[in-house]
Amino acid sequence: MKAVVLDGIVLGLAFGLLGVGMTLVYGLGGVINLAYGQIVIAAAIVASLVIERGESQAVAAGVGVLAAVGLSVLLDLTLMRPVYRQHGEERTLLGLLLTLGAAFVIGGLLAWRYPAGALYIYVGGDPISVIGVPMSVGSIWASAIALVVAAVLLVFFGATTFGRGVRSVIQDETGARLVGINPSFVRTVIFALSGALAGVVAIAQSMTGPLTVNAGFELTTFALIVTVVGGLGSVAGAFLAGVLLGVVNALSAHYIGQYITTIVLLGAAALTILIRPRGLLGR
Amino acid sequence: MTETRTAGGSRRLGSMGWAFLPIVVTAAFLAVLPPVWFGDSPYTTSLAVQALVFASYGVGFNLIFGSTNQLFLCVGALAGVGGYGAGILANESSLPMAAGVAVGTASAAIVGGLLSWIAVRRSLGIIFTGIVTLVFSLGFANLLLGQRDLTGSETGLIVDGVPAELADDSVGGYYLFAGLLVAFLIVFRALQLSHVGWAFRALRDDEVAAELAGVNVSRYRIYAATVGSAMIGLTGALLAYSAGFISPATYSFDRVDVRVLVMVAFGGLGTLLGPVIGAGVFAILDEQLTASLELREVLYGAFVITIFLFFRRGVVQAFVSFFDRFVRSGRRTQPNVQSSRE
Amino acid sequence: MLEVAGLAAGYLGERVIDGIDIEVRTGEAVVVFGSNGAGKTTLFRAIAGLLPRMAGRVVLDGKDLTRSPAHRISRTGIAYVPAERHLFPAMTVKSNLVLGAYPRRADRDTLALVYDLFPRLRERHRQHAGTLSGGEQQMLAVGRALMAKPRLLMLDEPTTGLAPKIAQAAFEALAGLKEGGMTLLIAEQQVPLALSVADRGYVLENGRIRLEGTSDQLAHNPEVRRAYLGVA
Repeated sequence: MKAVVLDGIVLGLAFGLLGVGMTLVYGLGGVINLAYGQIVIAAAIVASLVIERGESQAVAAGVGVLAAVGLSVLLDLTLMRPVYRQHGEERTLLGLLLTLGAAFVIGGLLAWRYPAGALYIYVGGDPISVIGVPMSVGSIWASAIALVVAAVLLVFFGATTFGRGVRSVIQDETGARLVGINPSFVRTVIFALSGALAGVVAIAQSMTGPLTVNAGFELTTFALIVTVVGGLGSVAGAFLAGVLLGVVNALSAHYIGQYITTIVLLGAAALTILIRPRGLLGR
Repeated sequence: MTETRTAGGSRRLGSMGWAFLPIVVTAAFLAVLPPVWFGDSPYTTSLAVQALVFASYGVGFNLIFGSTNQLFLCVGALAGVGGYGAGILANESSLPMAAGVAVGTASAAIVGGLLSWIAVRRSLGIIFTGIVTLVFSLGFANLLLGQRDLTGSETGLIVDGVPAELADDSVGGYYLFAGLLVAFLIVFRALQLSHVGWAFRALRDDEVAAELAGVNVSRYRIYAATVGSAMIGLTGALLAYSAGFISPATYSFDRVDVRVLVMVAFGGLGTLLGPVIGAGVFAILDEQLTASLELREVLYGAFVITIFLFFRRGVVQAFVSFFDRFVRSGRRTQPNVQSSRE
Repeated sequence: MLEVAGLAAGYLGERVIDGIDIEVRTGEAVVVFGSNGAGKTTLFRAIAGLLPRMAGRVVLDGKDLTRSPAHRISRTGIAYVPAERHLFPAMTVKSNLVLGAYPRRADRDTLALVYDLFPRLRERHRQHAGTLSGGEQQMLAVGRALMAKPRLLMLDEPTTGLAPKIAQAAFEALAGLKEGGMTLLIAEQQVPLALSVADRGYVLENGRIRLEGTSDQLAHNPEVRRAYLGVA
């Protein structure tokens, strides 16, 4: 059981980062990026191509993350502009539809060009024992990366001026404009940041097992569930929900079955919506 | 003489005729399609039936989402409730097809109404309604897979008691679904023209203002969801009989919901013929792109993006506004002849 | 310092204010009077860049701000405190103030000045802004605006929702600021209170300037007295 829980935590850390990326974009602009999973896959495919060309895994990882950032910025500067011109439910709907279209385009292109595409970063070494449970080196690496990134985010949002600026836009956009913050610029930077997080998740996940080209929509679904359970717009909530749901996922998959597990997670999201819509840590 | 006495009546009939004209045209078009286009190919016929089925789903979805902004991501599941309800009844009992269809439709209507009631009670917005209905979709699919004895799980269910003339690759089946679609369009249009339609437009425009104007937003939402779900369930039930064989894949989220959403949005959310045009276009698109599943996905996506960047309200609305502008600029050069006659 | 000429603005294509000419000289306190719906908030939002200007010009010290968006106007020296305040509710008082100086780092001296002006804020500096009382929120809003070291401070109905004694204290604080050299542009419904601080004033009615003059002139103007002071 301990092993299952630890596996769940490793998965949950990745879930958490994914949720943070999605919740940031939602908190800032009210847009749910349905193409998020595909951005993760894009990073994975790019990294795998770099590895194929003989570069080191570290270089591949860096390039992968940069690719995700680039793709995100491209999306923001093209599709998101007309979305942000709308307001309220019009914006939500248009955001959903345009990002869904983007998800099809990106996912379809990647699957078409690289039908067998997958990224698997193999980290050698004997299993390391963590509280009595042998964990693969890959899992340890994945968790370490996720934790470091989480710590960086914590510092960024808590202590830097720009980070505080981002939080202010989420809490009161007009107030942010009044103190001299450009919400449009912040949104683009954060979209890029969410891309970077997607890239990191791609790398981390691929250390625990191959990340295939078809996993896009599944990843988006996970990110969405984590975002909802954590509270739309809450960065800490998304991370917490990610870890919790990762453990739930592992336990459920182990003791019940894989297919039911998806339902369990979606059920968690539905339950949150029906009982406590603001999520774990949302306002 | 008669003209003056019934002037008001005939004028109203005239304008109503105008309102139902698109349906008449569509019906005529659908009626002539088989001899003109299908030749005798059951394959083409089955494709057309598929398109009709999706168009019918679309009208129901349009009523729920287009008219009252409830994002029901469970069209497939509702159709499945209708289809499996009818199918299981047909196999387990000796009741006639009509009974099966009735039960399937009623079940779907109840489920849809219930989902809407939940959404209304908890004041769920678009995204949350979408997620909750999505959970229902997947939960239902899982239910189908789990109840092996009743539903046959992945292997599917053969539905007995189907008259061969209504098979989904026969002309009979085609006319069955064509008739169904036309009936749905009539209901949709009738609702649009009635006080119900007015209430729908009001609550879509500004919920608070509608409430203040006396529109019971909750009740109309649930009403729209129930009727729309009934339509979807009815289509699903008839499909079960007509196809003779159903499986969870027939009504899965991937196969049904994504397509219906994109198709209706393409044609125009809330418009009468939106679902029809959308279904037609996507049927043709699918045929042209049988080559690669992935490329089809890419083109779907590109399509969706282009449509919503430039024709936000869908193709139908784009035509209507274009037509409107055209007509208005023409009318400006002509004096209003009507008033002089009165 | 601030010149507004022929300004027009509104919502959804409709002009709510039109042909507005206002001048605020350095070191002055100018008040804009008007009843509800006269267009005071629309005017202020237009000057601050929150509303697009449909016509006219806004010039600050010779710099044309007519086409500038709100966040850029805020950086050129105009600080706007709206009636709704728009504070950051889940952030502490201190964080709110610190953000006021964006994009610059918060100046410790300025922060001390704000705390001196509003000791209550110092007491509650760790409290979340959303949990403050109305008066405290108003103080925080003004304090946040001051952190940017503005040249012109705009306040839209600063006494809304404040008890009379607190409203009085608020205007006393504003008077103190003016004495320290701050230029003020205030929209108010509470005429006598505002006139005590103002050098000049404008009366806005139905989206247009109806009257203008020194505070003395306005105080003795029979129309103003009848409409706003309830004096026959």
